[in-house]
Amino acid sequence: MNKYDRAAVAAVALMLVAGAAIFLFAPTDYLQGPVQRIFYLHVSSAIAAYGCFAVVLVGGIIYLRTENPVADRFARAGAIVGLLFTTVTLVMGMLWAKPIWNTFWTWDARLTSTLVLWMIYAGYLLVRRLADPGRQSARLAAVVGIFGFIDVPVVHFSVTWWRTVHPGPIIVNDALPPEMLATFFFSLACTLVLAGVMIAIRYRIETLLDAAQSVREPAKLIATAREPEPVP
Amino acid sequence: MIYLVIAYAFAVAVLGGYLVWSLRTLRKLEHKQ
Repeated sequence: MNKYDRAAVAAVALMLVAGAAIFLFAPTDYLQGPVQRIFYLHVSSAIAAYGCFAVVLVGGIIYLRTENPVADRFARAGAIVGLLFTTVTLVMGMLWAKPIWNTFWTWDARLTSTLVLWMIYAGYLLVRRLADPGRQSARLAAVVGIFGFIDVPVVHFSVTWWRTVHPGPIIVNDALPPEMLATFFFSLACTLVLAGVMIAIRYRIETLLDAAQSVREPAKLIATAREPEPVP
Repeated sequence: MIYLVIAYAFAVAVLGGYLVWSLRTLRKLEHKQ
């Protein structure tokens, strides 16, 4: 068992404790019933995704300034993990919406801006996959990652900027009883630890992939150089 | 209740599945190295 396995086991153990708090400790909502328990991981995943996209933003800025491959690897790792957490946020939100709003989806500002956020970072990963690996693709992706982050505050403040079906901020408005609030903050902390571990593992994978790529590239150049010149 | 179960099952499948997959990928890459 290496340090990454141990970190993953610790993160999973924390998430299991968070699960126990969500299902056993937190009280059932009087109006919505048990389905309100979706809230804890739905909101925690959204905040974890913001954090991951902040890693993409910072990594992109540092890469454009210094061309340090470490920053680029962190950005790649942040984008993948952030996209996963955004997917979880969207799907959990849709499953919560169905019994409460009687529809899985509505083109409300919060839902639409979150879907746009998902598309931006899916596009970021598509740029990385389709472009040839190297400086040019990393710089292009950094620009996409930096401008893509503009949507994060739009998603966050959409419920206050526009009239939406999605509920407004409830944590800052002190709308939760203490047990629910404690469960939420504990779930959030566990989710952030999980996101951190996932980024660390992905960062290591990206480092090994870059190392393999740098070995392959000179070998390809040597093989090309050894090919005989075509006869005109 | 069914939506609650599906929502958490989906989250576990996506996040847990990715975590397991990334650990296996990492192990393979380190083994190759």
